Amino acid sequence: MYRRLLININQVRNRLIHTHNTRLTLPSTKCKERESFAPVTWAPCTARPLGTSSISFSENKESSTSLSEDKGKTPEETEVNAEVNTDGQRNTEMNEGTEISNATLTSQLETEPVVKPEDRKQVETTKSGKESLLELLGAMKVEVTTVRKIRPSKTPRMSERPDQEPMESTHSMFQRAAAEGSQQHGTLNPALVAAVSAAASTLPNRHQAESELLKQLRKHEAIPDTQRRADIGHIISDMKVGKRPNGRSNVRPTSQIRFDDDGKGYTQDRGITSELDGVRRRKSPFTSKRLNLFAAAAEQDALSDLGPTLWDIDLVNQIVQATNQMPRNGFEEMIQWTKEGRLWQYPINNEAGLEEEASVPFHEHVFLEKHLDESFPQQGPVRHFMELVITGLAKNHHLTVQQKKEHIDWFRDYFRQKEDVLKEAEAYLN
Amino acid sequence: MFTVIRSKEAVLQALASTVNRDPTASDYRFQDDPYLTPKTSSEFKLFSLSQESGRNAAKYFISTYPKYFQKDYAQPHIPCLMPETLEAQIEEVSEAALIERIQMRKVKAAVDLYDQLQQAGTPVSLDVTNQLLDLICFYGDCDPAQENEDVQDEPQTKKGRASPCLVFSFRENNNAERIFALLSEPNTHSYSALIRGMVKYGAYSKAFSTYTDLLNNQLKADVSTFNALITAAPEVKEKYNEKWELIVDLLKQMAEQKVKPNLLTLNAVLKALRRCGTVGKSQAFPVISEMRALSIDPSLASYNHLLSIFYKPGAPFQGQTDILQEVMNEVSGKSFTPQDPDDAQFFITAVRICLDTKDIEQAYRVHELLGVGENWRLLGNDFQQNIYHARFFSLLCMMENIDVVLKWYRDLVPSVYYPSSNVMRDLLQVLDTDNRLDLIPQIWKDLKQLGHGNRQTLVEELLTLMAREKQNQEVQETFAECALDIKKMYDTGDRGKVMMSWTAGSLSDLVSVLLAAQRRQDAWEILKLFKTHNRVPSEELLDKFLTCIKESGDVNQALELVQISAGFCLPGTPKLIQRVQQEFLLSEQQNLSFQTHISHNKNSLLFTFSVSDTEKPVHAL
Repeated sequence: MYRRLLININQVRNRLIHTHNTRLTLPSTKCKERESFAPVTWAPCTARPLGTSSISFSENKESSTSLSEDKGKTPEETEVNAEVNTDGQRNTEMNEGTEISNATLTSQLETEPVVKPEDRKQVETTKSGKESLLELLGAMKVEVTTVRKIRPSKTPRMSERPDQEPMESTHSMFQRAAAEGSQQHGTLNPALVAAVSAAASTLPNRHQAESELLKQLRKHEAIPDTQRRADIGHIISDMKVGKRPNGRSNVRPTSQIRFDDDGKGYTQDRGITSELDGVRRRKSPFTSKRLNLFAAAAEQDALSDLGPTLWDIDLVNQIVQATNQMPRNGFEEMIQWTKEGRLWQYPINNEAGLEEEASVPFHEHVFLEKHLDESFPQQGPVRHFMELVITGLAKNHHLTVQQKKEHIDWFRDYFRQKEDVLKEAEAYLN
Repeated sequence: MFTVIRSKEAVLQALASTVNRDPTASDYRFQDDPYLTPKTSSEFKLFSLSQESGRNAAKYFISTYPKYFQKDYAQPHIPCLMPETLEAQIEEVSEAALIERIQMRKVKAAVDLYDQLQQAGTPVSLDVTNQLLDLICFYGDCDPAQENEDVQDEPQTKKGRASPCLVFSFRENNNAERIFALLSEPNTHSYSALIRGMVKYGAYSKAFSTYTDLLNNQLKADVSTFNALITAAPEVKEKYNEKWELIVDLLKQMAEQKVKPNLLTLNAVLKALRRCGTVGKSQAFPVISEMRALSIDPSLASYNHLLSIFYKPGAPFQGQTDILQEVMNEVSGKSFTPQDPDDAQFFITAVRICLDTKDIEQAYRVHELLGVGENWRLLGNDFQQNIYHARFFSLLCMMENIDVVLKWYRDLVPSVYYPSSNVMRDLLQVLDTDNRLDLIPQIWKDLKQLGHGNRQTLVEELLTLMAREKQNQEVQETFAECALDIKKMYDTGDRGKVMMSWTAGSLSDLVSVLLAAQRRQDAWEILKLFKTHNRVPSEELLDKFLTCIKESGDVNQALELVQISAGFCLPGTPKLIQRVQQEFLLSEQQNLSFQTHISHNKNSLLFTFSVSDTEKPVHAL
């Protein structure tokens, strides 16, 4: 039943296409009685212009439906829907622009304690299915609000369609389903009613017979409704599937923007924002989420202790083969030669060519006295001569330390060999 | 103290960075000898290969006859100039000898020596055995190709020689597996060598079973093993999903075994994803993000695989243009160092996509990237460079106006790029579209130099373009010169090369060009060629020719023209005769000869009459 009511909402939205509804024989005066309540409960709404009032209505409805845990409120909500339905019956003669009355009427009904007996009966019969209803309403939430939101933007009937088309998603699907349902109603019921009155006119107690027949008819109609529930359930579940995954989050911000303006730039508004959304979303696929297979700070893999393997050498070789290694100018050719070791390298500091002596500190070169200590005389002309020799060596930058040592060693040997001569001349004092 | 650590090439690198490319000069390697400056792509190939092969020949002689090259002139000693030792020095059966043979990559000798050691009961250390396994698995249990051949570096020949090994693939019970089975305690390295060898030589499922062995032995695999297995993953599974699941499974095991993936892992995964269809598209970016999180930056090979995943050649590519853009956003302005052999594929792939999607903007970005840092090295070898430039230039011809195209043409041709005849035809089309046909003589000169002067289709197109419209006098003059030059190409025909043959179309185009330039005498010579080459001129051409003759008033030539026309039995001959009689002042003598000429060709004329309705001048006969 609730599903049927939901359909009825959409029937109203469909510009009240079907005018003859057998169930809408209910007296509309019942609604009129409570008209005085309207300003009390909906005071802010009625004060607003037409468009916004209907929006706030839808907002209200959305919020109430979203509070689906509040079970007590949902039947009320469905009553509202039911009332929209009955309102629709009244509005058959009215034009679509009567949304304000629509709103006020529904507001009355929200407070209305008495539900029509028939409706109540239906509520009771399907009370067990309340859980599923809540689910359905939860799924419907978005749909209902979008329906209401579109409303202010269109004034002529024909302009509605193109407006809604970009929505495309579940909304139009729902509309189609609803249209089908309403078609069924519209074509079947007037014919039946006509047939009933024709049949009744043949009977003596005409009015009683007609009402009895209609009652019987209503009973019959309850059966196809329960049957149809399954189909529509399918459709609604389909709608849930068809919904875009981010539809909900998308609708919120854009719809808020739309409340502020007059609703004229609705489609453009949506186009630009969604486009920007798209740009933002696919800002860079390189920043997409990772697979999360590895811990971020995995330990460093221990390098093989044996140096490069054959495979490593081959990899390097392959890379060299694949890339362009041809020199583009003379300097690049010289770089290549330098790497091969064919060319003496260009000096990059004042220690070029110092490979041999790189680890020898300068004082080894300069302070050579320590080499004189052991076997040279401590004083005298030989000592004096050797001091001059090491002074000269200290200043010589062409020789390595080893060569300097060898030089000194040569003199040591020489003076040792000539020791006799020197002693004779009293020059070797030790 | 503050010291800057510089490499020993730092000064040279700084100097090299000051040298820009000279678009008028040929490649550096040809600058030694101007005679050897290549002018065509085939010359380029020939000269560069001969230079390389000369080097290799020298190396071969030095290595084959080392005794003649023992004198060491260099001071200090330069090892790379000395002959390599190719013969094993250690003769005895020992582990040292085995190591030497492994280092010299003598597979068979090393295996034999290992067997001898085993028989003698000498233990061989695990490390050396692993090296031996590496060697055997790397070369697929046959000696490397260069063993008894000349030393060579060219990839093509190497590939050709390696193929016999690939044919044998990873045989049952080969030496690697045999030696592996002899190991009492194989370690990770042993398994790694075996698995990599199996993957290299196509024994994919065997590689996975060996990996299972490894796990059963409570060992951990190393990163290169995983890389090899990931490479093999698409080979052992059929469905896209299964392939991907296997890869994910391997990656999970890596994480479990605490093996840190490297760039090659990333590239292996992406390369495998190329063969996973739509799964590849959805998983490629998460894989890259994963590796980024492990501070592994993708190399150009990664981007190349990425592009190949999203742009399959021949497949429709709507909605994917932005992937190239995203990739270019990532790489623009970065200098890449070669890290993967596939790095060199990136530029070719990128420019192919640009060409497919006709995206000139991205093509410029790709080309710009090429100029950053050392990226030019990643363009690959000469062949790849040629492909790249051909694609880039084709795209330019397609998308840009003639001025821009010519700017690039002057920049690229012929210093780095020798366009093919197809690309030159594209260029001619651009000239045509932008109405700059006056440049044709210039292009013809280049064409001749590039060795396309004997491409018949190209030359015919050139002639058609020149003959199509009437240009101003100056241009017509250059056209005529150019046309005569083209005629020379037909006449000479390079030795050995396929000569071009005249067609009726090319001959009449040639005549038209010459007539337009008032070169009646040259045109007359060409007209005679119709007969020698058994071609039939069109009526319009003869009509045009007659108009030209009339301007000079050469009656004799007009008569000859009619005679030629009659000789070809053209149906338009009577019309020509009529025109000659009406427009030219024929002397008695000429009239007589005219008629005798015609009566001479009566047979043919009779045929003509029967075809065309008899007309007035004919009646006069």
